[in-house]
Amino acid sequence: MTHWFHRNPLKATAPVSFSFYGVAASPAANKICNDLKAARARLLEMFTDPTCNPEIMKNATDSYFSLLQGFIVSLDGTTQENKMRFIQNFKWTDTLQGNTPSAQQDAVFELVSMTFNVGLWYSKFASRLAGKENITETEAKEVHKSLRIAAGIFKHLKDAHIPRLITPAEKGRDLELRVIDTYIIQCQAEAQEVTIARAIELKHNASLIGALAFETANFYKKADHTLNSLEPDYTSKWRKYFQLKQAFYMAYAYCYNGQMLLASDKCGEAVRSLREAEKYYTKAESLCKEYRQTKGPGSTAKPSEQLFFTKLGGLIKNTLEKCERENGFIYFQKVPQDPPDLELKASYGLVEPIAFEFPSVSPQCTPEVYATFDLTKNHKDDKAKPKQEEEVKPMKEPDLKTQKDTGCSIS
Amino acid sequence: PSIPEGVPSDIKTNKDGVLVDEFGLPQIPAT
Repeated sequence: MTHWFHRNPLKATAPVSFSFYGVAASPAANKICNDLKAARARLLEMFTDPTCNPEIMKNATDSYFSLLQGFIVSLDGTTQENKMRFIQNFKWTDTLQGNTPSAQQDAVFELVSMTFNVGLWYSKFASRLAGKENITETEAKEVHKSLRIAAGIFKHLKDAHIPRLITPAEKGRDLELRVIDTYIIQCQAEAQEVTIARAIELKHNASLIGALAFETANFYKKADHTLNSLEPDYTSKWRKYFQLKQAFYMAYAYCYNGQMLLASDKCGEAVRSLREAEKYYTKAESLCKEYRQTKGPGSTAKPSEQLFFTKLGGLIKNTLEKCERENGFIYFQKVPQDPPDLELKASYGLVEPIAFEFPSVSPQCTPEVYATFDLTKNHKDDKAKPKQEEEVKPMKEPDLKTQKDTGCSIS
Repeated sequence: PSIPEGVPSDIKTNKDGVLVDEFGLPQIPAT
């Protein structure tokens, strides 16, 4: 396993028929409804299809969102709300809160929730690819890009679409600021992990690697803090993941900082830096155990037994031995009591989300066809509205088994 | 427009004008 990332489950949803008898009063309007139903079903299928790739996902998302936009953007040239926006009820579960869904009769809620799942899919696709035993350079680029796309999707939803919802998200739901912010930071941090592996492979200098590791640890720290005011019942496991990754990358940062100090003949400080790396590594190991023992949504793994983890332990041990040896034979410097300050600012490899935009409205959704949707024929009984507390079946996600670790890393 | 391609080419520069790869790392490793 080259990389290991924690993943929460996909959001699940109730089927939607888009059957507006009497309202869709023309064959073209009826066709839009039928196509919406089919495009939605196909997109949902793609989320759990292990053979789906970004190209297939893009086609599936474009097909559905271009039609759904016909129920959201203004098609009659006025600034008024699209009359179809509030006609259909949608139910979606949240990644942290089990099978009890939220329901909103709003096409924007559907757009945002479905897109959120697209973001999750990109992050899961990246995770699947990154967990492979022999990841190639092309695949590493694909992982990096997918994580940046996922971050861009979450960011776009947060900035442009979630504020349009009439009913704001409740505490701890996916569309709530703290949760979506955490997803953005997580994707950026994980993409930086790929960059760090690449920098090590290409033998970039220790200051570059140390600085990027330090910034990545800070990203994980920020993600952990963002969740600290939410209920531990559903955030503990995710937070443990952030805490262990933070400790792991702090160990990386001190390890490479030590190498940097040694290269500048500051051997005493280098020894102290490596001892600090050892301390963080031990902390990360114990957090790995806690992560496994913590109940909550998401994958379960034994990260501390994987090569990417144990490799760092070996590197710290060897570098510390080297520094202590050189200090004992050559430098004779005093080892400071306090660890050196990590004044590391990354100039390279920081990850920015890739900007995301929705496709334009489908050519099927013309003002003429839009005019043939007759809302006066909508006799839907309000009592027939699905109850909010009814459970929705979770998505059957492909079983992603951890592959055997051969020790190969990305090149 | 939809999901942008993101990785336009192998060669680009960062804000300081340094040639960097797709990961934002310098093209020439400064070991």
